[in-house]
Amino acid sequence: MLRVHMSVTAIRQLIGVKTVQCASVCRSVACLHRAGGGVRWKSSYKQAPLLTATPVRGLIDEQISIKGRFLRPHCPVTVCAQMHSEDGDLWEAFAHYNTKADGTIDLTRDHSVGGTYLGCEPMGLFWGLQPAPGAREGLRLRKKNVETPFVVLMSLLEGHVSPSEGQSTELAAVTTERWYMAPGVRRIDIRQDGLVGTLFLPPGPGPFPAMLDLWGMGGGLVEYRSALFASRGYASLSLAYIGHKELPGPQNKLNVDDLYFKSAYHFLQDHDQVCGDRVGIIGLSFGVFLTLRLATQSGLKPSCVICINGPIGSTISLPGGRSVSFEERNSKYWTYNDQGHVSFKDISLPANISPESKVKLEFLASPLMCIVGEDDLSTSNIENADVIEETLRNVGKSHLLTRLSYPGAGHLIEPPYTPNSRASLWSVKPKKLITLWGGQLAPHAAAQEDAWKKILDFMESHLRQ
Amino acid sequence: MASVQSYTFGCIILHVLTYQLFYLSAQSRMDRGHCCVKLSVKPSRGLMDEKFIVLVQNVPPGFQLTIHALHKCEDGHSWEAFAHYTANAAGTVNVSEDPSLGGTFSGVEQMGLLWSLRPVPGSKPALRMRKENVQTPMEVAISGYQGHQTEGFTDQVQLAGTVVERWYMAPGVRRVPITEGGLTATLFLPPGPGPFPGLLDLWGGGGKLVEYRAALLASHGFASLALDYLTPKITIETGKMVDNSYFETAYRVLEQHPQILGSRIAMLGLSFGTSITLKMAVYSKVMKLRCAVSISGSHVQPIHGSVEQMLNAFNENASKIRINEENQVICRDLTLPIPTEPALKVDVGRLQCPLLLVVGEDDQNWAAYEAAMDIKDMMERAGNSHLLTILSYPNAGHLIEPPYTPHVRASAYRSVNTHEKIVALWGGETVAHSRAQEDAWRKTLVFLREHLYGGRNPGATSLSHL
Repeated sequence: MLRVHMSVTAIRQLIGVKTVQCASVCRSVACLHRAGGGVRWKSSYKQAPLLTATPVRGLIDEQISIKGRFLRPHCPVTVCAQMHSEDGDLWEAFAHYNTKADGTIDLTRDHSVGGTYLGCEPMGLFWGLQPAPGAREGLRLRKKNVETPFVVLMSLLEGHVSPSEGQSTELAAVTTERWYMAPGVRRIDIRQDGLVGTLFLPPGPGPFPAMLDLWGMGGGLVEYRSALFASRGYASLSLAYIGHKELPGPQNKLNVDDLYFKSAYHFLQDHDQVCGDRVGIIGLSFGVFLTLRLATQSGLKPSCVICINGPIGSTISLPGGRSVSFEERNSKYWTYNDQGHVSFKDISLPANISPESKVKLEFLASPLMCIVGEDDLSTSNIENADVIEETLRNVGKSHLLTRLSYPGAGHLIEPPYTPNSRASLWSVKPKKLITLWGGQLAPHAAAQEDAWKKILDFMESHLRQ
Repeated sequence: MASVQSYTFGCIILHVLTYQLFYLSAQSRMDRGHCCVKLSVKPSRGLMDEKFIVLVQNVPPGFQLTIHALHKCEDGHSWEAFAHYTANAAGTVNVSEDPSLGGTFSGVEQMGLLWSLRPVPGSKPALRMRKENVQTPMEVAISGYQGHQTEGFTDQVQLAGTVVERWYMAPGVRRVPITEGGLTATLFLPPGPGPFPGLLDLWGGGGKLVEYRAALLASHGFASLALDYLTPKITIETGKMVDNSYFETAYRVLEQHPQILGSRIAMLGLSFGTSITLKMAVYSKVMKLRCAVSISGSHVQPIHGSVEQMLNAFNENASKIRINEENQVICRDLTLPIPTEPALKVDVGRLQCPLLLVVGEDDQNWAAYEAAMDIKDMMERAGNSHLLTILSYPNAGHLIEPPYTPHVRASAYRSVNTHEKIVALWGGETVAHSRAQEDAWRKTLVFLREHLYGGRNPGATSLSHL
């Protein structure tokens, strides 16, 4: 069935042409053929299909407006996103749309009727990225080098197809770059006073309000959230405390103590590019315990404290005592699902936490934002948040607490428009272990977007006003 | 009477005190609020021809502010621009909406901080800003200063600052050096599998391989070949100038490229590049151009001449070159008066593809406007003037380039045929020239898209909407 949209002129040209096949009709109305076969543009009258993304170079937490133009009206198309992680794995997402009467699609306006997500999701192609079929097991998308962008290729395909199916006609494409560092942000390695960290400074004369940025037991030096904070005008220090070769002792044990974290906080306070009276702390997972410990124990009074999905105490004591590995102390609390994936959730049940390690929340003097994902399979975040809420209420400090709770969101509530991994590789030795994080794709994405906005607003009101 | 006087006096004191309090509290708010002033540029990473919005927030209402732009070139020279603003009642300044009260530009000028850039005080004279490495962005530091400042910016404390990146290459554009066929050229391919229409990009008498316009054109979907035809490797090594087959080789490289549509190739030239473009468009048996763009040039040339002969013709007319009081060289008379003899100008009546002419009416380097009028006349008489579109800009000079880079009225220049360093007068008044660049670029892109991406028969499209 010939579905070429023809101009009146073109039709007139065709009168007198007898039996024509589709391909030759296309040729006579100046169709364009892709080298190597495959018709690319069917319409002679209009311009070639165009796919645009604005901004084409944006920050990770910035919305991109994706539009298709000069398409046939009321036709099925697929928009596809593909990228390679730093490890070389291919990630992809796709969505099915129907073009409007004016031959356009606009992902900020239109509804996906199939694919990775449904409905109106302007950023769905980014948070919906999944490892391509045939990929290695247990992948998680995390940027190690924050000085370069993620390069994501967006393409517009004819019909409702899935990219891995192969033969589909590509109508248009555009390459986007997703950056963690805004222009002018400075990245500085910090290796002083025993600290292992990376400081990110915003562009400009300073001084700036600052954040101390703490992650979980996965260890290493995780820079991407700090890079984004600096891109938003806050000096930010990512701090490594476990699982880093430049820290003392075996990498699978916690070998630093309270002094280490205090030292990091003071480093920020005393830095000449930081407003010493405007320093906050953010922690995810085990980082929550460390954050609350700093905020309540040490005589510090951070301007604000943000806790995401973490415990108020620990089964591991900070040395002091004999330092043990995460596995040694906790494996009795591990639970497994049918696929052999491990959940760490029970480790942080308030009942299982050692009472001496429990943070003295009654000493909290800073505004606290407590974020929980209700489908967190890695920590007993809700139970711990309940303890926080109750303790603060009992000492008349409820006014300090803002609690955000997200149904369907998992453990890894990270900056927005990045994909969630419901489970990922935790360790390879002594055996390969995949751990569960939880979180359903769309609700988790919504949680990340909302939480990030609220985190930035919270920081703005406590670090800048 | 006395009580009224003292009452009035009291009011005055009250007003003065209130003003002082307001000023002091504003001052202390500014000191404390060093952490509060926000300056942002959106997009922070854009293409060179993209507009941006510079926004300052959280200053006191009515606050006097200077916004300053600073760029350090690859050659080490610094360029700056600045503008004076007064914050509104909400404590913001939006450069795209608010008028500049003075500085290097005035009025509402969204992109003024870029096109009004000028060398900082103490710089070498006769500078021109041109990006050599197109794979890295142009970085501009944008800062806010208290008060209406005009100098000494490096000694002052900024209130806030940020950096904006301006890119010549969109993500995914590929840069491919081309040496086949003895060419010295660079091909820029748009992202994606293609195929793409192609474009041959020629600059003028200064020679060298100038890539930035081709890179931008590729960012807009045209596979563009920047061609060095005056100082290519082959000329440097042999001492011989290229002949016309060099351009045909370049055309063939485009035509035969697997990702380029051989039937959709355009040619775009500026200055002497126009001379080549018009010659090839009319006389080449090999080049079948879909359309052509000629900027700031002329059809006046020995039509059967090679590049060398064309340059020699200028040398012979050297007496027509004038020098003004500032020792700036004016070359526009070299192609005047427009000859009537057919052998001395390209027979544009034989042109078979659409032609876009872009001319600045204050061009002091080439008599481009006069040439455009004669071209129009010739084409009307030949009956092919429906192919012609002329964009003529009052007070624009010779160097009509992609928008939002600084205009210079004159700069140091060394032509390949004279070898002497001079200061060439290009002409143009900065505001008018900058507007011309913006308008001409937009219309050039529309023209190219219509003819290279549109499907109609060449020449059939009306461009009256331009």
